[in-house]
Amino acid sequence: MIDSFQNIAVTSFPEIPKIDFKPIENKYLKVILINTFLVFVIVCLVVFFADYKGLFEFIENTIWIYVSIVLGFIFILLVKKIGFKKRKYAVRQKDISYKKGVLFRSLTTVPFNRIQHVEIDEGPISRLFDLVSLSVFTAGDSSDDLKVSGLLKEEAKQIKEFISNKIDG
Amino acid sequence: MGNTANFSQFRRQSKKGIFVIYLNILYKAFKAFWIFLFIFIQKFSQFSESTLFYIYLGVTALFIFFLIRAYLIFKNFQFKIENQHFILKKGIIKKTNTSISFDRIQNINFKQNLIQQIINVHEVNIETAGSSKAEISIKALSFKKASALKQAITIFDKSATEQAIGEVEKPLLKVGFLELIKVSLTENHLQSLLLLVAVLVGFFQQISDLFNGLGKRDILDNYISKNTSSLENSLILIVGVLFFFTIIAILSSVVRVVLKHFNLTVFVKNNALEIYQGLITKNSVILKKDKVQYITISDNPIKKKLGISFITFKQAISGKVKKKQNKIIKIVGCKNAQILAIKTLLFPDENLQKFDKNFSDSYFRNRLYLRGFLLLSILNSGLYFAFGVSHVFWVNLLLIPAFIISIELSFRKQYYLFNDEFLLIGQGTIETHKTYVPFFKVQHVKLKQTFFQARKNIADIVFQTASGKIKIPCISIEKAHKIYNYTLFKVETSQKSWM
Repeated sequence: MIDSFQNIAVTSFPEIPKIDFKPIENKYLKVILINTFLVFVIVCLVVFFADYKGLFEFIENTIWIYVSIVLGFIFILLVKKIGFKKRKYAVRQKDISYKKGVLFRSLTTVPFNRIQHVEIDEGPISRLFDLVSLSVFTAGDSSDDLKVSGLLKEEAKQIKEFISNKIDG
Repeated sequence: MGNTANFSQFRRQSKKGIFVIYLNILYKAFKAFWIFLFIFIQKFSQFSESTLFYIYLGVTALFIFFLIRAYLIFKNFQFKIENQHFILKKGIIKKTNTSISFDRIQNINFKQNLIQQIINVHEVNIETAGSSKAEISIKALSFKKASALKQAITIFDKSATEQAIGEVEKPLLKVGFLELIKVSLTENHLQSLLLLVAVLVGFFQQISDLFNGLGKRDILDNYISKNTSSLENSLILIVGVLFFFTIIAILSSVVRVVLKHFNLTVFVKNNALEIYQGLITKNSVILKKDKVQYITISDNPIKKKLGISFITFKQAISGKVKKKQNKIIKIVGCKNAQILAIKTLLFPDENLQKFDKNFSDSYFRNRLYLRGFLLLSILNSGLYFAFGVSHVFWVNLLLIPAFIISIELSFRKQYYLFNDEFLLIGQGTIETHKTYVPFFKVQHVKLKQTFFQARKNIADIVFQTASGKIKIPCISIEKAHKIYNYTLFKVETSQKSWM
């Protein structure tokens, strides 16, 4: 059975550092920015409301709260902007991989023969840009399985089809 | 097998089941409403005769209602075996129809609590890897029917099952009472104490709710504050309390272990382990070899001296049922020879001894120190705010050495080694855990690096199995990549099913 194994032709081992990872769609950066901005607006509204109700009386100058929120927001935006380039995925003959992260890097690989099911999700904002996210689930605690966001709908469908064929075949 | 024919038609459980279900309902009702009972007894004299009459009438009606309910549950609970599936119909008003394919069944367990022991019926639990909803519990079956059912379900599982009923086999392991006491005395007493405290806190909350309701909150508060203020003053009392807690902790672990593992007997039967144990509630579990995802062998210094250790078996769990304790099967009090026997049964020709241990990078130690330091600072500031006196910082004289020792131990005990098929990960502080994972049981692999780890070229590698994560912290990136690739290679070429 080892003879029939063909992933990439370099060696008999599937070598992760050598495969070509594909970046996700550039449009997805806009989705991330819009989402972050929405969270920012909500946080600001909550803080403003609390301030209005006088919940921060023990702090002398409430302006510092807003300054720190804005600074935090800028920091998060920067991290997301840099981190966006690090979001890459790769589909091979027998597995799918995804890597991401600047401060906390991670690389996950799920072999097709362990996948229980595949899901395609469309977020409300992603839908405006015709983007979807593809999640695969394995057995056990699946909360930490692989999810690739920011794929074109057509491409995600193709990958899903590909994986489904592999699982059944 | 003539027995299988019996299950081709829908059938009910043993008639004694009504009684078991009835008591079960009563027990649940009592657990929910015992506070009312308490109040009732306390205020008994204040009720007028006519109110008492209505209360009795109501309670009697409730009892009769429960009896009818139990009967209906019994009447509507039907099961059969068809086409390699176990089929169950149940429900009084909302009818449910469950069908479980045999190869999805992980375990068939027998259980007997006190009442079931008295009226001589067995509870049969059918466990699957799916959600908890798919779990089936048949409350009362006679032993003959229960074993026939078990046989009928397991018979299709393996082709070569030659199981002679009634044949007395020599058990692989039998733990006597004295042995069990030894085991329980060397348990992790701190853990038992925490468990006990958790139970007591829940109990205390109920009590304080009760006092609250009766307007006697002050009494309780006074009592507690009086006790705590004297506690702060007297050192002797603190020592006394510590001593008391130690005794309680040891006692509670003894009681816990004896109740759960009394008369522990393990048999090996056609590729499965059969485990019998329990004092008040008797349990029997059949552990199929293929369903075990990984095992952990643990001991601590005292246990090592006595030559005993315990094995934990991990089976597949579903994502929703988190940390379901009863799916973790433990065999305590194993001697070396028995561990070897179990290991060879589950993982034949594993031969890991001749390989060298690989240790984590010293970054791992630094990380542990950093985390320890953070924890200490939080603890210190918490203590300071709680008591408001700087004397509490003397605690650090005890805490800091304890932290340093446990960090050094954790670092030294963290290692991994592997051969073609298996990965062995060692870890622990005072206890030592050795986890054996076959590579093909891995579901997916993950490589993790923080920014700082990336600068030092080291990474954590996390293996996700169907029963949880296993982590090797802080190894060099080249090694991590090698293991990563090898695991993928193993998983992707493996023809064996992981469950």
